[in-house]
Parts: sequence; C-alpha cells; structure tokens
Amino acid sequence: MATSPTTVVDQLLAGLHLPDGFDAVAGVIREFLDQVTNSAIWTRYGQQSLEWLIGMNPVDRLFMLSALTLLLMLLLGRLRSAGVLAVLLYGAQFAALLSTDTLFGAPLAAAVRITVADQSLHWSYDALSWFFAMITIGTGFVTAWYAAGSWMRRYREAGRSARAFHVALALNCFGMLLLVGSADLLSLFLGWELVSWASFLLMALVGGPAAQAALKYLAYAISGAMLILGAIALIYGISGSFEYDAVVAAIRSMTDAQVWTLLLLLGGGFAVKLGLLPFHLWQAAAYAEAPGAGSVFLGAISARMGLFGIIVFIVGMIGVSRLMTLEIPYTFMSSRELIAWIAALTIIVPTYTALQQHDARYLLAWHGIGQGGYMLLGLMVGDAVGSAGGLLHCFNYAITQAALLMAVFAVVHRTGTADLNQLGGLVTRMPLTFLVLLFGIISLAGLPPMAGFVSKWMVYRSLITEGMPLLFVAAVVGTLGTILSVYKLIHNIFLGQLRVEHQEVAEAPLSMLIPMLGLSALIFLAGFIPGPALSWVAQVQGQLGLPVVPWVLGGIVDPRGGLDMIWLVGILMAGFGVGALVFYGFGGRSRRVHQLDNYAGGHFLTADVHYQYSDNFYAGLMHLIGPWYRGSFRWLERSLAATLDLVSFGAEGLYRLAQPTLLMLAAAVAMLAWVL
Amino acid sequence: MTHIDQVPTPGAPRPVEIGVKPGTKRTNPFARVFDELVRFAQSRSLFMLHYCTGCGAVELPPAMTSRFDMERLGIQPMVSPRQADILLITGYVSVKTLKRVILTYEQMNSPKYVIGICSCTVNGGMYWQSYATAKKLNDYMPVDIYIAGCMPRPEAVIEGLRGLIENIRTGRADAWKDYYRRYDHYLGNQQRLFGADWQTPTDVIAEARHYDLFGPATLGAHTALLEQHQRPLEALEMRIEIPELMRRRSRSDQGGTAQ
Amino acid sequence: MDWLSAVSLDGLAAVDFRWLGLVLELILMPLIAFVVGLGLVLMLRKIAARLQRRVGPPLLQPLWDIIKLHAKETQTSHGLIHEIGIVMAIGGYVAAVTLLPVPGMNGLAAQGGLIALLYMTMIPSLGLALGVGQCANPNGSIGISRALTAMLAYDVPMVIVIFGVAFHFGSLNLVYLIAAQQAGGIATWGIVQMPLLALAGLFALQGMLGKQPFEIYVAPAEIATGPMVEMGGKFLGGLFVMQCFQLYTAGVLYVALFLGGGENWLTFLFKVFVVTAIPMTIAMVFPRYRTEDMVRLFWKWPTMIGLLGIAFVMN
Ligand code: SF4
Repeated sequence: MATSPTTVVDQLLAGLHLPDGFDAVAGVIREFLDQVTNSAIWTRYGQQSLEWLIGMNPVDRLFMLSALTLLLMLLLGRLRSAGVLAVLLYGAQFAALLSTDTLFGAPLAAAVRITVADQSLHWSYDALSWFFAMITIGTGFVTAWYAAGSWMRRYREAGRSARAFHVALALNCFGMLLLVGSADLLSLFLGWELVSWASFLLMALVGGPAAQAALKYLAYAISGAMLILGAIALIYGISGSFEYDAVVAAIRSMTDAQVWTLLLLLGGGFAVKLGLLPFHLWQAAAYAEAPGAGSVFLGAISARMGLFGIIVFIVGMIGVSRLMTLEIPYTFMSSRELIAWIAALTIIVPTYTALQQHDARYLLAWHGIGQGGYMLLGLMVGDAVGSAGGLLHCFNYAITQAALLMAVFAVVHRTGTADLNQLGGLVTRMPLTFLVLLFGIISLAGLPPMAGFVSKWMVYRSLITEGMPLLFVAAVVGTLGTILSVYKLIHNIFLGQLRVEHQEVAEAPLSMLIPMLGLSALIFLAGFIPGPALSWVAQVQGQLGLPVVPWVLGGIVDPRGGLDMIWLVGILMAGFGVGALVFYGFGGRSRRVHQLDNYAGGHFLTADVHYQYSDNFYAGLMHLIGPWYRGSFRWLERSLAATLDLVSFGAEGLYRLAQPTLLMLAAAVAMLAWVL
Repeated sequence: MTHIDQVPTPGAPRPVEIGVKPGTKRTNPFARVFDELVRFAQSRSLFMLHYCTGCGAVELPPAMTSRFDMERLGIQPMVSPRQADILLITGYVSVKTLKRVILTYEQMNSPKYVIGICSCTVNGGMYWQSYATAKKLNDYMPVDIYIAGCMPRPEAVIEGLRGLIENIRTGRADAWKDYYRRYDHYLGNQQRLFGADWQTPTDVIAEARHYDLFGPATLGAHTALLEQHQRPLEALEMRIEIPELMRRRSRSDQGGTAQ
Repeated sequence: MDWLSAVSLDGLAAVDFRWLGLVLELILMPLIAFVVGLGLVLMLRKIAARLQRRVGPPLLQPLWDIIKLHAKETQTSHGLIHEIGIVMAIGGYVAAVTLLPVPGMNGLAAQGGLIALLYMTMIPSLGLALGVGQCANPNGSIGISRALTAMLAYDVPMVIVIFGVAFHFGSLNLVYLIAAQQAGGIATWGIVQMPLLALAGLFALQGMLGKQPFEIYVAPAEIATGPMVEMGGKFLGGLFVMQCFQLYTAGVLYVALFLGGGENWLTFLFKVFVVTAIPMTIAMVFPRYRTEDMVRLFWKWPTMIGLLGIAFVMN
C-alpha cells in the first residue's frame, strides 16, 4: 500500500482508539490531506521524505524529529517565523509519538544504540515513557504556540535572543524524550544530565534574579546528580551491568542495608528535581523567574522528570511491597511511610508558603512543588486507585499548571506586573484570561468538575480505603490551603476594583489565547470524561506491575464508592441551569452599576482612592500560623544552606573529577550516534 | 465650578400622577393574583436600615426586642443599603449627615420606603433655628411615613410600621417612584444645600431610564447643572478586545485599505 | 449506568420506571430540600426568638423574604461574575442535594459518594466567593477571606469524621452507609458506634453552618455582613435560597453519617430538625470568636476528639 498522509493519519487515529463519534472529524482531516497530496510540491518532494520517515523505526523517528527541532531552532531560531516552525515541529513530534503505539502496543526499542567501552547505551519506549513523553511534547507544543506570536515579539523587543529561547525549549524536550526513553542506567544518566542542564539554560535565559535562581538550582542539581551517580555505581557494583533487567535482578538480591542506601541515594537525587521536602527551596524562584513561556514549560513538566525517576526505580524496580518491609530502626515506620510522609509534608509546607506569596508567578510555582506531593503520595499508597491517581495527577496537573501560568503571564504581558497587590478588577478587561484562570484554579484546588478533582479524589479514596487517616488529613489540609491561596490569586488579579491605570488594558493576544483556551477545554474535558486519561494510566500501571485501576469512561466503578464524573458534571450543569432559571427567570431586571457605586458606610468613593482588599489577604489565619512559618522556615533554610555549603564543597571536588569526562563522553557519543 | 447662587430655586412641589401606567395594566386574572401575592410578600417582609441620626434611635431597641418584637411583623434590621427596604431616619439630620443619607437612599433597591421618626424630621423640631440641620426630610427624598413625637414611643413606632405595611399591601406606598419622576426637584433642593457641584456616585437618571421610571420632571434645570460637572458613571462593561481580531475587523471596515 | 444500557438495548419498551424514577428524583430532591430548608430557616429564627423571649416570625416568613427579594423592581448588579456567582451558589447546592440519599430516593448517591459530596458543597462557596469578589467591596473580600479561613478550620475535623465513618463501614457510598446503620437498629447507628466522632462532627457542623460563635465572617457591625454587603434583591434572595439548601445539606449529612439516615420521612425529618436545632441553640448563647481563635479552637478540640475517635474505630 502506498503511503500517503491520509494513510498515516488513519493509522494515527487508529492508534488513538477514539470513540466512534470522531469519524466525522477524521473525515474532515482526510479531505484536507487529499488536497495537499494532489499539489505539485507534494508529489515532487513530500512523498519521498514521507516514505523515508514511514520506513523508520518509530522511536528513532521521534528522536530524529526532536533532534531536528533542536537543529532547526539552532539554525533558524533568529527568524521571525521560527515560532510557527517550532509549533509545527512539536506537532510532528506529537504525531511521531502517537505512531510509536507503545502505549497500547508492545514496548519498542530504538534502533540507535551507542556502544562505549563495551557498555551500550540504548533506548526503548513503553507505556510509561509514552505517558511522560506525551505530556512533555504536549507541553512543548502549547508552550511554543504561546510563545510564537506577540509574546516573542515583546521578548525580542526587550533585547533578548529568540534563538536562545527556542533552542533551550527544544533542548529540554529532546533531553526529556531521551530520559523517558532510556533503557539502561547509562542512557538514563545521560538523559538526566541533559535535562538538568537544559532546564538550567531555560531558567538562566533572562539574567538578573533568574540567573541567581538558576545558579541555586544548579547547586542542587549537581548534588542530585552526584547522588544518582552514586546509586548507579552501587548498582553496577552488584549487578555488573547497566541493563535494567540485570538491575532488577540485582536489587532483588540486595540486602536491606543496600536497598536503604540505594533508596536514599536515588530518592535524594530524584527528590531534588521533584522538589521534595527538604530539597524544595530552589524551585519556586527558578521556575517563577524564567521567561514567561519558559516558566510555563518548566512549571508544567520539568519537575516531573524527578517523579519519573522515582517511578522507574522506587515504584517499578524496588516496588512498594519491598518498601513496606524496610523498617526504620527504632521506629514503627517503614520506608514507604517515610516517603509518604515526605510527600505529605511536600504537599503542606509549599502550599502554605504559596499562601504567603504576593507575586502570582511565585504563588503558582510554590503550588507546583506542593502538587508533586500528591503524585508521590498516591504512588506510595500503591493500590490500584491510589497509584492511578498519582499518575493521572501528572497529566492533570501539567495541563492545569500550564493554563494557570499562561494566564498569569498573559496578565503580565498586558499590565507589566505579577504583583498581586497592584492588580485587580481585570475581569472586565480580560474576561477570557479570567475564564482560563478560573478553570485552572478549580482544577488545581481539586474541585469538581475539573480534571484535578478526579486525580485528587483517587488519592483521597485510596488513603481512606487503605486506612491512613493522618496522611488523608494532611492531603485535605493541603487542598484547603490551595483553595485559600488560589482564591486570593483570582481575587487579587481579576476581581475587586479595577485600577485607573488598567482602564485601557486589552484582552491577551490571540496567539497566547488559543493555547490557553485549548488547555482550559482540555481541563474541563479531562474532568468530564476522565476515561481516556485513565486508560493511559491503566496501561502504565500494567507495565509497572501495579494493580490496574477499574476504569470506565466516566471514572471508576466500585460498589464501595466509585466515581462517575459524567453523572456528577451533568448534574452540576443541570444544577447551574436551575440556578440560572431561579436567578434570571424569577427575579426582577438588574442593572449594572459603576464600581464606585458601592457601600462604604455612607462614604463617597472616588477613583483616586483604592477601595480594595488585597494585601495580607488571610490576616486572621496569619495571626495564628504566621509565627509558625517564620521560625521553622528560617531555621530550615539556614540549616539547609549550611548543609548545602558543606555538600557542595565536597561535591564540587568530586564533580570536577568525575563529571567533565562523562559529559564530554556523552556529547561525543551523541554526536557519533547521529553521524552513524 | 458653578457658584451656589447659580443654582435655580426649585419650584413648589408639583403633584405628579403616579400609578400603574396604562400600558402595563394587568388584565390577566392570574397576573392579578400574582401581583397581589408579591405585594403581600413585600408587606410582610421588610428589611430595615436604621440610620440612627438622632435621639429617636433609643426607641428602636425596645421595638425590636422582646417587648414589642418587630420580627412578628416580618421586620428585621439589616446592615447595608443594598439589602434594605426601609430607611429609618430617627431624628434630626445635620447637613453633613444628610449627604450620607441621600447616598444611602439612592443605593437602596426599589421598592424602598423612608420613615421619618421624630418631629425633627418633620419640620426641624427643636433644631428649627440651627444652621446645620436639614429641616424637612421630604424636601430631599420622598418620605412614606412620618412618626411624629419628641420622641415617639415604641408603640407609636410599631403603629407607624403597621401603617406602612398596610400601605404596601394596598399598593399605595409608591413614594419611591416620585424620586425618579421628580428627580430634578429633589436634586435642586440638594444642590441648594450642598452646593452646585453636588454629586453622588449613583446614577439616578440612568436608573430611571433603565427601569422605565422616567417622569415628566425627571430632567430639568438642576439635572442640567449636574451634567456639567458629573464624573462618568457607566458600569465597567465586560469587553473582549482581542487586538488581532479588532485590527482585522477595522481593516475590513475600511474596505481592505491598509492601515 | 445499567439503566442506560437497558434503554439502548431494548428500545422504548425498556424506558421503564428506573429512567423516569431517576428523573423524578432529580426534580423532587432539590424541591424537597428547598421546602425542608425553608422549614429549617424558620425553626432557627424561631429558636433565636424564643431564646430571646420574643414571638418570632410567622410561619411563611422565610418564603415571603425570598419572594420579596426576587420581586424587587430595581436590582443592583456589579457585573456578570456577580450574577454567575449567585447562579453557582444555588446550582452547586441543587446538584449537591441530589447526592444525598433521603427515604425512598437515592438520586445520584452511588455515583459520587462522600468525598464527591464534600467537594461538591465547596462549589457554591466558590461561586459566592467569586460573586462577592466582583462587587469590588473590601468588606465583602474580608468576609470571604474569613469564610475561607473558617472553612480551613472546620473542614479539618470534618474530614477526620468522614474518614472515620467511611473506614468504619468500609465504604464511601452514602446509600451503603445508611443501609449498614439501619441493619441493626439504634445499636448500629454511627452515633452509638462512634460517639467521639459524632461529637467532633457536631462541632464541625456548628462551624459549617456559620452560626455564632463562628460567624466572624458576617460580623454585621464590623464588616457590614461581609459577603452579603453588596447583595440586594434577587442576589440576596439567591443567598437565602442557598442558606435553605445549606442547612438541609448539613443536617441530612449528619443524619446520614451518624443517625442511620431516615427509615421513613417522619423519623428522617425529625432527626434532621433535631440535629439542626442543636447548633442554633448553642449559637444563641455565645458571643463571637475571632478568626484565629476559631482556627485554634477547631484545630485543637474537635480535631483531637476526632483523632481519638479514629483511633478507636481503627482498632
Ligand atoms: S424630635 Fe426630639 S427626640 Fe427626636 S430627634 Fe428631635 S429632639 Fe431628638
């Protein structure tokens, strides 16, 4: 059969396992493609290159496209149309990923492999890789789109290099694709380093406080990498091989003490990237200060690479059941509870730090750290629903956080500030951005009907059925803190009084709005019909050897309390309908009044005096918990800084010895791989 | 700024025909029943904003609490003007206070009723000669019921409220419409007292227009004076102005000419 | 979802009672909730009046209030979100009450369960908070900030209680919980089996209803009724409707968790009214707590009682 775009698309759609109703959509796409294939240019060049692409190993094709993106951005990044090109290329990567069909199909190894000193580096895609790669490329796609138009113009006008941005983004994507596809310890480490340095690049782009934060990140990342290197050395010492099969066997044969060491090394290394307590202090500033679109990418997916590592090693290879047998001496806790409690603290502490922020970017970045805790917590519970909830939250969180950060940076784009005390009332000027932020905060806070509710519900439920009351309370306290903090976010930006200087603010530019609105729709859909995302998660669970969640299109079936979002959302919408009927149908006609026509105890309001409550929004709560923070946080940061100094002092020495050779090796290897 | 002398003197209060306009007369019996029901509900549920300006305020606690218990009649105190139906002025109103009283009155949602308690609200009472008090409350806003006395006892207050309830139930308590229909008159009196640049943050004229409460004397010399210096008070309408789309539209408006 | 497959398989003949019954339940449940809610509001006002040796409002007073507010001829809106907020406040509760099983009607209780219900009841609060925010009145914003803080305070014991009950009966499904409690008469009621949790739950209920001593977020003399400051006419009317639903939801939830739900409508309503009367009676003899004192109180006593209760449940 001759390959043509039509057949390719057909295959892709078949790989997606879409419900029947999408046939019509497919028809429209097919018609469009037929027109393309009939054009002259296509018959001359297109057909050939397509056939070449089709003939490739799907995983290679994915890597090749990703590398091509990087290359093209390096060459053409300065061009004005580079943004659009990048969007197309990320779209192509997404298609390439779908064509690997490793989610529902069998794992697929890449044909490329590199052999260094008798050790071969190779890559392979399976359901887990697919899941994370999908989030990565999806985030890259929306980020590139967000950055493609007006945002990039402003970025250039500020005298910054568009090429550097495009390259950093492409490099991040490429690194992550390599990392999630790694099939042995060496390729894992190569990918890990690539990701670490790439995100440093993205963070440090704009200099100033961003560069400072990025340097702080670097200090953490280097020590994290050292820990991982140590873990790899430990495993290699026992297994004598970097292959995953050998590693699994080696871990099984390890003594408890060895597993403990491994756990601390690996856990510590990945925890740095994930921002687990107490290694979380670098993350907020590094993510918040990055240039807008970069911040979106970093916030949505970058830290999840740490979680990926934890999933592969701690959940996949060591296994939750092994963790449960590892008792902490002199306590009644097992290592699994220890990790779960670290996750719970990671939920609570950063969330309540977010509550104190008055910069919207920082507020969201701190929440990003906190949400990582839910994912880990769900995975540590380890039952079918809990681990599915943890995995699903990666996806739900990524779309949520991307939408939220995009909305905030759209406000920054228009008003020039993210200071929550200097905004207000923008809902009348940027209503669509408000809508995006609203969907985002409902999802982030984990309220129905948005996506975040489903995954958090699953985590709660597993904590209840597994009988973990304190962790459950901790998780809910985190959620409540999130609700408080996101209300402050939306209130201080969009509600309240519109400032005089913002009277003429316009809605966000179209190039930024489209990805924002698309993500909002996705947030709602993933909450309304969680089935598709659950089916991915179920595949990942199956591959990791976890119990598989009993999913249906609307959620989870379980006689002892399931969840059917289609029903819930349906009834909620019906309720809103009734509410609207009561409000609009049975009430007198209303008239909109000016914001100064407002109750002030008989006082006459004027435009030159702000009548707005924004600073120290939760004053009452802060009277109580404020002192708790100040003491413990200063102490924590100081002691960590001291430890870090010590560690970095030691690490620096080691790093100087070990790292450059390895990096050079890796770079040379990567070069060779594409040449051969 | 206009000098106070340039404020035209308001004419003598002209009686204005107030009532159901011919076009809105209900002939449908169900609608009549419905109107009756609504009027009944309105008379049996009165939220009261007590603007305790003068001595009369001390008579309210007994009227509200266990001795006389207004809640029996469906009357309960409320806090902000938006929630209230009754504005209770309990005694003398100084000029400074009157400004706030007027703002509060304008912020209330119609139908709204004003009750002047104490002789001071009727004619200035013992403050007749004071330079700083407003004499007749109904020069500045329509008053539904006056409860005279210096000060009236709670029984009298309750009696007055009962009178108001009766008026509302029978549809006679529509003094609030007078404020819209003869706004010029009230505004004139206010301007005489507060100066020509007097303005509240509420937009009575626009409201009258919106609710079709315009009358023959809504506009006049005084509203013209108001318009000279009035700060704009249009509501901040929600607007979706996506620059790219706006540009495209304006381009197509110009028939494809480049900008 | 079984009724759905029945419909699609057997065609119209299979559109049986289950379909119609469910639709009927979905219509009836909010209606009943509203009517019962009106009764609860009346009861609260009557209790307050009796404790102050007053006569109190007449029978239909809550209804007259709502009709009057909706019939206001001029209504002040501060913008679209102000309106949407009220719609969400009513709509969220309309949806939430269909998740609460009552005698003879289970509605959608099986599709959501306890946690979904708990979070569903936060939607109206969120809607209200958004609506208040758009009013551009700092009194309202302060009120919301206090209300959300209060939620943070009382939800901690509340979720402990919910955990305990769900763990004890091994289910999140309210229908199942009620059936399990009714299985052995009063001896299997939650309140008998988990008295400590029931106590903590009652505490949380007091906070949930926002009655004295926990009504700092309204504080009429300080922040002019906080969230309600700019609400007039049908906006306030909507909030009155919401209050009916809120009282009903809180009462029914407590009855379903601890008092064995309702065997029939008589005992069910009796229980609901008794449960709701308790906080109101307590409320009328207390002054008001400051926000931070309220948080401290809730995180101390009911939380401790609740945790102790869980410790008993789990052993
Ligand atoms: S009428 Fe008498 S009691 Fe009333 S305000 Fe005037 S002086 Fe005071």
